[in-house]
Amino acid sequence: MVPALDLFLQTLLNGLLIGGVIATFTIGFQLAFGVLHVIDFAVGGWVVLGGYLGYYMAAGLGVDGFLAIPVAFVLFGAIGYLIGPILYNVRNSRTARPELMALALTFGLFTLLRGGMLTAWGFNTHSVPTALSGESLAVGPVTVPLIRVAAAVFAIAIAGGLFLFLYRTRYGLAIRATAENRQNAALMGVNIRRLSANVYGLYAGITAMAGVLMGAIFSVNPEVGLRYTLFAFFVAVLAGLGSVGGALVAALLLGVIEAFVATYVGSSYSLLAIFATLFLVLLLSPSGILRHGL
Amino acid sequence: MKQRRTGLLLLIGVIIVLALLPMLVNNYWLRIATGALMWAGLACSWNMLGGYAGYINFGHSAFFGLGAYVTALLMGDKLAWPFFATVPAGIVVTALFAIMIGAPTLRLRGAYFAIATWAFAEVLIQFTSVMDFTGGIGGIGLPPFLDERFFYFAMFGAAALTYLITWALFERSRFGLKVKALRDHEPAAEAIGINTSLVKLQTFVLSAVTASVFGAIFAYWVTFINPKSVFGGDITDQMVVMVLLGGLGSLWGPALGGVGLFVVNRVIWMYWGDTAFYIAILGAAIVLVVLFMPNGIAGLFSRDGAKSGAVLDKAVGKVVGDGQGGPN
Repeated sequence: MVPALDLFLQTLLNGLLIGGVIATFTIGFQLAFGVLHVIDFAVGGWVVLGGYLGYYMAAGLGVDGFLAIPVAFVLFGAIGYLIGPILYNVRNSRTARPELMALALTFGLFTLLRGGMLTAWGFNTHSVPTALSGESLAVGPVTVPLIRVAAAVFAIAIAGGLFLFLYRTRYGLAIRATAENRQNAALMGVNIRRLSANVYGLYAGITAMAGVLMGAIFSVNPEVGLRYTLFAFFVAVLAGLGSVGGALVAALLLGVIEAFVATYVGSSYSLLAIFATLFLVLLLSPSGILRHGL
Repeated sequence: MKQRRTGLLLLIGVIIVLALLPMLVNNYWLRIATGALMWAGLACSWNMLGGYAGYINFGHSAFFGLGAYVTALLMGDKLAWPFFATVPAGIVVTALFAIMIGAPTLRLRGAYFAIATWAFAEVLIQFTSVMDFTGGIGGIGLPPFLDERFFYFAMFGAAALTYLITWALFERSRFGLKVKALRDHEPAAEAIGINTSLVKLQTFVLSAVTASVFGAIFAYWVTFINPKSVFGGDITDQMVVMVLLGGLGSLWGPALGGVGLFVVNRVIWMYWGDTAFYIAILGAAIVLVVLFMPNGIAGLFSRDGAKSGAVLDKAVGKVVGDGQGGPN
């Protein structure tokens, strides 16, 4: 095959695989927005914390990085479960501007996480070692790092599980109902406050799990959280805030855009390209271009 | 009436002290005073949109930085513009960018605007870091001008003007009423014929432009800027904390919060230097103020400050289903 075409396919595949991992935490992000009506600046913070958990479990306990994935879910799910009600109370308080206050709260939380991590762990970059690190798989002319394949498989499993949960269980129905109209959902007997806590916990857990994988594929330091927050926002804007179906498509698109810019233009331009796309979408179709509703 | 006279006397006293300050203190303290005035002014500039119009701008450092970079580039060796000519240039550039960001996003929910402004500032960091003409990550130098008094009075003038404009426009004019009306109930404001999109955009541009003036003076003052030092998220974080601490939408709150936090910042800097711990403190301050003091310091003194107690109860643990939770 033509080398140029090989590179193209390679880039496309890489982008799709990364997009899959991005999809896992952006779906959670959208879900949290749908239920809580707060955009969570802290999303990048949860990703980075997951990555650090993986690194410290591998470096400190000597276990494989993959083992950190379930631990991340339980640990950060619990933390999210505790934070959820606070966020809910601020968002629904009778201050003059609850939306603004809730936004400020997540922004403060993100800043607190970033500053705390910088203080505790410094600016150094770490990578999460796993059994698959360094291995790669050849598919025809294209070689893919095995860790990315594993991450994509994980992403598909999580996304699939989440969709089954949302569309096939009674609790999933309650979540969707709340996202659509919280007053009517409350009238039908949904305890919105408890549901918000559960959803935020679920979202924080999933995000931290994705963080372990991101730490294994790339690497982790406290400052990369900004990048993941931008990713979540990009997907939210493209898909329309709160749209879960669109988030999957938008995340894959994001992965591909990033991979192509990084390969063909230079990785320092990838954030620029992402922002340019984001801005164009805001300008042309402000409510998102992939909107399907939840 | 009596209260008002006390306030006026206090204001005149503060102005006299500030005007005489360069004769009273040495250069070290004058620099600190210059910084305090800059931050008080920046907090006020953020408050125009955040406090009066109710739209949170998480990328205000973008406009501060644009002012700084325009001045730095125009005063460089090739162009060698005089400082006072670069300020209006910075204002024009900033206004154009503010319209570009604000026009599409201010029509939407606050969340989109917060995203767009935050992303804009992050991207300007990236942009100035990769471009050659901005000096890349290394940054860019300006011709040094080492007259502390000049910069003190420049910041003093800019801050005084910012507060004067805020007072005249937001506290004493129809425009201010429009802005507050749309903050408190946007559909109602539209229903009585206010062009809310236009008013929001005007407020945003004004807020951005004032930040750029401080950026221009700052660049000339420190004679060397780089992407992180003028666009960095910490700058916005600091403004947010100052305004929240002082009191959203109050005229004097940002001044109190600005000077107060700046003093804390300098004390920390004296003992520990540039520390990441300060970022954690800023974050914790935002969280604590939102949870326990949503009306800020100004709220403690105002007549409806009593509300803040009720809000505290809510934050700690009551279930409210008042139907206010819907989008916007």
